[in-house]
Amino acid sequence: MMENVLLPKLAKIVKSEKMTAIERFLQVEVLDKKFAEVFDYQPGQFIEVSIMGVGEAPISTCSIRTKKGVIDLCVRNVGRVTNAIHHLNIGSLIGIRGPYGNGFPMEEMEGSNLLLVAGGLGVAPLRSVLQYALKNRAKYKDITVFYGIRTYDTMLFRDEFYNLLAEGDKLGCKFYLSYEDSKDKQCISLEAEHSERCMCGVVTKLFERIKLSPEDTYAIICGPPIMYRFVVQELTKKQVPPEKIYMTLERRMKCGIGKCGHCIIGDGTSIKYVCKDGPVFTYWDALHTKGMI
Amino acid sequence: MKYVKLPKENLDAFVENLKTHGKVYGPVKIGEYYSFQEINNSKEMSLEYSRTMIPPKKFFLKLKERLFTFNEEKGEYKETLEEEKIVVFGIHPCDINALKLMDKIYIDETPDKYYKMRRENAVIVGYGCHPDEYCFCHSLGTNYAADGFDLFLHELKDGFFVRVGSDKGNAIVSEISELIKDVEGSDIEEFRAAERKREKEYTLELNIRGITDMLALAYESEVWKEYADKCFGCGSCNLVCPTCRCYDVVDNVNLNLKSGERLRRLDSCMLRKHGLVAGGLNFRPTRIERLRNRFNCKGSLREDTLNCVGCGRCTVYCPSQIDYVEVLKKVRGEL
Repeated sequence: MMENVLLPKLAKIVKSEKMTAIERFLQVEVLDKKFAEVFDYQPGQFIEVSIMGVGEAPISTCSIRTKKGVIDLCVRNVGRVTNAIHHLNIGSLIGIRGPYGNGFPMEEMEGSNLLLVAGGLGVAPLRSVLQYALKNRAKYKDITVFYGIRTYDTMLFRDEFYNLLAEGDKLGCKFYLSYEDSKDKQCISLEAEHSERCMCGVVTKLFERIKLSPEDTYAIICGPPIMYRFVVQELTKKQVPPEKIYMTLERRMKCGIGKCGHCIIGDGTSIKYVCKDGPVFTYWDALHTKGMI
Repeated sequence: MKYVKLPKENLDAFVENLKTHGKVYGPVKIGEYYSFQEINNSKEMSLEYSRTMIPPKKFFLKLKERLFTFNEEKGEYKETLEEEKIVVFGIHPCDINALKLMDKIYIDETPDKYYKMRRENAVIVGYGCHPDEYCFCHSLGTNYAADGFDLFLHELKDGFFVRVGSDKGNAIVSEISELIKDVEGSDIEEFRAAERKREKEYTLELNIRGITDMLALAYESEVWKEYADKCFGCGSCNLVCPTCRCYDVVDNVNLNLKSGERLRRLDSCMLRKHGLVAGGLNFRPTRIERLRNRFNCKGSLREDTLNCVGCGRCTVYCPSQIDYVEVLKKVRGEL
């Protein structure tokens, strides 16, 4: 019988931890053993999460697969479905579909430097890129991470990133942190401790701190829509070619398979559905597809 | 292609036979509009119809349908898809070509089970038409259906010139062998003459040469504001468009709050919510952006064809009389 791609598969919440006032970390495990075997996903892909009676929302994975049938999600309480997700207990049943989307071209980027630029919640999908690259460390040259936060309270994966800030070089990644609230005491003390890696300002300010070699660097961006233009500006100034700047976009991806039409962008010469053609696009895509960033 | 002839007096017997293949729907006049409705005999149909208000997409991507039920206590999602055999009689070439565009999205890419099953359970009987002042299908090459049907009827003086487009169509023809005749040379000549005549009946032209670039170049044009000021943002154009297929999804909960159903229903890119994401950010916040998006979507290349078949519905049924062809002429700078 033909597969019904719109029918969610049952999964249960195995972990749910509060990360910030509005974000939770969730670990989800699919129930069906056969599906668990084949359920795999790449950095940058997303799944559709269903809550019975509430609805469905696209959430990107924030890690690589470590265990069969398990996926990690970082969910901000921002709408109806995500609010319901925040109120689920361990053991609660949800539905999932996917994974969907193209993901980041991890193989294409082999042999190059990686520069990850994340703002706010945008760090969630980039964390899976970072995990993948660190797991396959020998395949990449330098790995640099820029993470921009507003305040210390909004910092996601705090222990993990604090560890990277302090010990990152030993683990194979140069981690930089920027914070926007100049009066934030915890951020100020972080800066005092790691002045070479932490500074006050927007995430693009961190470009002052590094020397970038445009001929063998891929940039990977994820953050609030406003951030893309500024980061791209910096990268262009540093001569990184448009086809080596990757970004992952947010849109209303209701179906995940290019049918429902809500995530459409572009003009007559280039129409894209973010869920199916993306959500990962290059800056070159943005240059010839109007309305992308 | 196999060709046969159906004498006029056998049309009703033909429709009788079609009823054995499923519920038969045909174009019926309701008030001043036409609609595909279930019919019992050929006399209920208005085969000389211009266009139905709602295109035949309604049979395949239902305006509203249940996708599945869910039950939290039982922990299940249950498919509730029911098969039904139907025959859609009298579809015009533009609408057949529109279904072919829909098939590309709903069958060729990640197949949609609901749509695909209904397409497979349907017999498509096409019917030749004459253009009115709103038809511009000939500009798009969709005024003729080369395939995408099981049977296609072209009217002759004393019967119908029938093109047999599929094995399903051929099976039907073999069942009614006593009702049909072989085509003769004079029938072929009559069919050819009618097609030559029809080509000359078109009055409306849309130049689609380079339209994709013209749309991209007009992205910041004042045209969009001019028409957005006229547009009510009602979404009628989406509803009546044979290639518009955006849908919205909603969960309905039963009173026990534990079980319910997920529905999908036709959506409209002209409505404010279309580009809205959780948290309140809207990627197409104004009517200008939404109108521009609709025209760019319709005017975009999907493989070798545009996403429009020139049926004229969006112009005919726009409550604000926005003329689709006129807008695209302005985009090009012709007006």
